[in-house]
Amino acid sequence: MKQHDLKEPHYTPDATESTSQSSDVIPGPGYPAIELVGVSYGYGKDLPVIDDISLSIPQGQWVTLVGANGCGKSTLVKLMNALLSKGEGSIMVKGKELQSDTIGDIRKAIGMVFQNPDNQFIGATVEEDIVFGLEGQCLSIEVMEERVNSYAEKLGITELLDKHPSELSGGQKQRVAIASILSMEPEIVIFDEASSMLDERTRNDLLNILSDMHKSGRYTIISITHDAQEIAASERVLVLHEGKLIADRTPTDLFQDEKILEMSHLIAPFAFQLTTALHRYGVDISIPNCEKELTEALWPLHSIK
Amino acid sequence: MAITFNQVSYEYDANSMWSQAALQGVNLHLESGILAGVAGATGSGKSTLLQMFNGILKPTSGTVQVLDITLKGGEKAPKLHQLRKRVGLVFQFPEQQLFEDTVEKDLCFGPINFGYSLEEAKDRARRAMEQMGLDLSLLSRNPFQLSGGQMRKVAIASVLTMDPEILVLDEPTATLDPVSRAELIQLLHRLCREDGRTVIIVTHRMDELLPFANQWIVLHEGLTVFQGTVKALIEQADRMESYGITIPQSIRYWRSLSEKFGWSEEDPCLSAEAMSKRIAHLVNSEDV
Repeated sequence: MKQHDLKEPHYTPDATESTSQSSDVIPGPGYPAIELVGVSYGYGKDLPVIDDISLSIPQGQWVTLVGANGCGKSTLVKLMNALLSKGEGSIMVKGKELQSDTIGDIRKAIGMVFQNPDNQFIGATVEEDIVFGLEGQCLSIEVMEERVNSYAEKLGITELLDKHPSELSGGQKQRVAIASILSMEPEIVIFDEASSMLDERTRNDLLNILSDMHKSGRYTIISITHDAQEIAASERVLVLHEGKLIADRTPTDLFQDEKILEMSHLIAPFAFQLTTALHRYGVDISIPNCEKELTEALWPLHSIK
Repeated sequence: MAITFNQVSYEYDANSMWSQAALQGVNLHLESGILAGVAGATGSGKSTLLQMFNGILKPTSGTVQVLDITLKGGEKAPKLHQLRKRVGLVFQFPEQQLFEDTVEKDLCFGPINFGYSLEEAKDRARRAMEQMGLDLSLLSRNPFQLSGGQMRKVAIASVLTMDPEILVLDEPTATLDPVSRAELIQLLHRLCREDGRTVIIVTHRMDELLPFANQWIVLHEGLTVFQGTVKALIEQADRMESYGITIPQSIRYWRSLSEKFGWSEEDPCLSAEAMSKRIAHLVNSEDV
């Protein structure tokens, strides 16, 4: 994919406002898919990895979770589907409180894609690998076949179904991992640094998959990433620092806050960097969406005098 | 001249009917002491090219000259021991090559293999740590307990222990977070600027190398389709897209600015800081 198709992220400045709903709303589009209230977690007694986090993510939202290494991002998402047993606070998924009798349902509702797809393969062929998850859901053979074929087609891996996972390239492996997860039809999909092993082009492919998933409206997406393009494409960014939620913003707002960027080890896209530097030199322009907008904004400043 | 390629071709399985050309008639000239970026889409021959720099792969035809050693296609190669010592190669994900139980042992492995004493090897290990900006207290640590960025730097340090004149790296910043990436590129730039080493970096992300590289090489389907300065690269940016290369934002912005304001003769300002300074100069100078 070419750069210019991507340079206009769909910023939705009002994304955060829609999240402050009360928990008794009737399920429908926009109802909270995930709600955390006062969630804390520690591996040792005095080391809180997650420190009193409350947040609500409405159904269908595309959320990015950022923060420096070791800030608790992976721990937080693993708490959501009980891959780590709960510490303090309450976790609600699709209106259901996470406790021992609801874990089964909640895990069905949440799919996770990890950084290194190699760690996720078990089948001897791509097809077997996808089927493994479906067998776990006790589906009939007809349904399984239908799912394998339709999700393989959606992710463009139909011709890979008979291959051994080791024959695939990094980008293909990540597609297979995503197909395996989506075929189980989860409503919430969590990507834990799923793009960090990928090269530029396959990273764009993944971004397109995420965008398509988001547009379909079927999925609530939570993605842990450092990638500026991926962050820019999402609707909302949650920033973790030393186990605490320190910011909840739109990507546009995040990229203009140098302090938060530094704390979370992020670098803003070039247009933001340039605008921030220009402000320091007393040239006051708004963030350009492309190079043309910049020259057009500068032209009057230059030619009036 | 550090490296000269003259009509170099390379075929995998050259003598079988399944031979596959990876490089076809590559010409290349790199001066000593520069920092060069190598770009190209997946499968363009970047990794093949890289492995010719220290004789891991020998040309099927053509001449490769690295430092004072010449490799000719079809001829028996000279002894490559010296070349391997003088050209350090860092592969992708070099941290996967770490294997010892302390950082120090890992760093000493190369020098000892090349015949240095343990004392000398330890001395070289310390120097290499400093060059990569790593704290010496890490020497006694288990390399597998370091963070991803630290492991990457230790792995690069293990190549630096041989004090190579030419350092070649295959996507050294892949999978690191943006801040660690910028830091690593600056360290590599320092190896070039302060120690006078020739540094060649293969990258998928041209933007992070743009402010530092003096020379760019672009490969496409086994051919060098571009070699030159950043300025020349900017002039030909339109062609790059057809080679599967993403034009960095900073080049797009600079091109647009220089066309509009007539800066095309100037040295390009490609960092946000330099570009905004140039813009401020434009806006403010006409204030008076």
